[in-house]
Amino acid sequence: MEIKTRRRVRPPAAAPPGTGAAAGGQRDVRAKRRPAPSRRARSRAGLRRFALFAAPGLLVYAALVLVPIGIAVGYGLTDKNPFDPPTEFVGLENFTDLSSDDEFRTALKNTVVITAIVTLATNAGGLAIALLLDRRGWLYNALRSVFFVPVVLSAVVVSVIWQTILVDDGLLNSMLRQVGVADPPGWLSDPGLALYTVSWVIAWQGLGFCVVIYLAGLQGIPQELHEAAAIDGCGPLMRFRHVTWPMLAPAVTINTVMSLIGGFKAYDQVQVLTNGGPGPGTTSTLAFHVVQTAFSGNHIGYASAMAAVMLAMVAAISVVALRLLQKREVSS
Amino acid sequence: MRRIRTRLRPFLALLTGALFFLPIYLVLVNVFKDGSAIVSNPMGLPLPPTLDNIEGVLTRSDRLFWYGLVNSVEVTAISILLITAVSAMLGHYLARSTGALGKVAMVALLCGLMVPPAVILTPITDVLRSLGLMSSVPGLVLAYVGYYVPFGVLVFAGFVKTIPRELEEAAELDGAGPFRVFWQVVFPLMRPASASVLIFLGVWIWNDFLNPLIILGPATGTTVTVGIYRAIGEHQADYGSVFALMLLSTLPILVFYLAFQKHFVKGLTGGATKG
Repeated sequence: MEIKTRRRVRPPAAAPPGTGAAAGGQRDVRAKRRPAPSRRARSRAGLRRFALFAAPGLLVYAALVLVPIGIAVGYGLTDKNPFDPPTEFVGLENFTDLSSDDEFRTALKNTVVITAIVTLATNAGGLAIALLLDRRGWLYNALRSVFFVPVVLSAVVVSVIWQTILVDDGLLNSMLRQVGVADPPGWLSDPGLALYTVSWVIAWQGLGFCVVIYLAGLQGIPQELHEAAAIDGCGPLMRFRHVTWPMLAPAVTINTVMSLIGGFKAYDQVQVLTNGGPGPGTTSTLAFHVVQTAFSGNHIGYASAMAAVMLAMVAAISVVALRLLQKREVSS
Repeated sequence: MRRIRTRLRPFLALLTGALFFLPIYLVLVNVFKDGSAIVSNPMGLPLPPTLDNIEGVLTRSDRLFWYGLVNSVEVTAISILLITAVSAMLGHYLARSTGALGKVAMVALLCGLMVPPAVILTPITDVLRSLGLMSSVPGLVLAYVGYYVPFGVLVFAGFVKTIPRELEEAAELDGAGPFRVFWQVVFPLMRPASASVLIFLGVWIWNDFLNPLIILGPATGTTVTVGIYRAIGEHQADYGSVFALMLLSTLPILVFYLAFQKHFVKGLTGGATKG
């Protein structure tokens, strides 16, 4: 009771440290008795602050990302299919089935191929174009925007544009026929070619992102470094190898990790350009195969097992890539 | 030698840019041609230009474009405002918190950055169904808030570190409650971070395909992006109207992007140069 009244009289905030100890003995005793209520008051204020500021975001994130991840792993252990009840627990059967599932293996292989091509092409092409555009002037500013436009477009729009160009009697082939190619390739209809065409479209759209990141990296390199290297007798190639390339390490990290994660997510382009074909699953990616199995095939349990494997792979790749690339940044 | 090289660069840059831009040029010129001109001369300029394709899309009897536009604007606007508010508060809270729990929450959020949407899509439909929000705009918005809060928190938490804590303490001493301190002192200072979050998310959500396709479903109508996909199924051969639909659907987000372009690239490179 006594404590309560005192609390109301005194301001709840603690006196600046030191004043209590410096002033005589009686104050010191009071200062020692105060912590209990003030800590409770502080924790109540902390709780309110948590409820006001942190809880909404954390709650929605938990409900729509963390819980779904848990549910996906849980479903992966069942044979859930809404049109074939009841759902039964099957243990790791889905996962052992996956290891011998040809469609899943193809989807995995396709995802790896697309991711590898997109990562290499956007990084190499992005760096080359950034080096080309790394000058002042309206022309270079305008071209920078040109390369960035596809990044702002939706993958659906980009895929439809390329589809009109690349279908069998599309623009590219009619032009090829005009210049005398009698039998132009079926960019999207040849099972041996379609996967590379899809990769090309994804890379074309992602290129501008890499260009912008590399340009920013190039502009962050102090001019003195280039000059010093030139004085030491380095030609343009040596300067690139020993000054530009090491200084671009953070940009390489960002671009590589973004392309890796982006390649693994590839879905829209596959659905619009090829719908997984031509033929059974020749261009189907993991994301595409998971969604098809879940929403067209209704094999929720099996699709969830695939999703869990996919998540584990993305996590492993991201961690490994970040570790490797950041080590390079530190050492250089 | 040097002279040749300096002349070569603009020429080479222009050539690369032109080749790269060719597919987009194709759309832009063919929107203003009629069907026969598209087939006979796809690369040429539209002379004389026609507005038939655009008019056709705007006056379609099923109003595909208009329904999609209303849904897209609604979903994108509500989502980006909610995500900005929620993740600004959470990002600020976590950046200022010193406890172990705050660190755990931060790591849990950052892990969410790499989760592919396809992995959690099925369970999300279950969660939304149990909340009674499946096949509805609020359901789709909720899914976006959950999925993009980690990105917002990443940007805001990084930015909070540039704001001196003394400002907040001064406001507290003057008697402002935590709510007022945040919205009247901290949030206005984070305008650059808010701008880049709004623009990134605006572009991503406007262009998203998979989530509206599954969560909104055919019953509630579509967004413009899903509308394009539905339209190419119907009349594959009618390039003119597909191109017009794509142009009209892209125009709002393109204007939005151009208006805030400076922040977009700044937000992009802010992280890049810091590494």
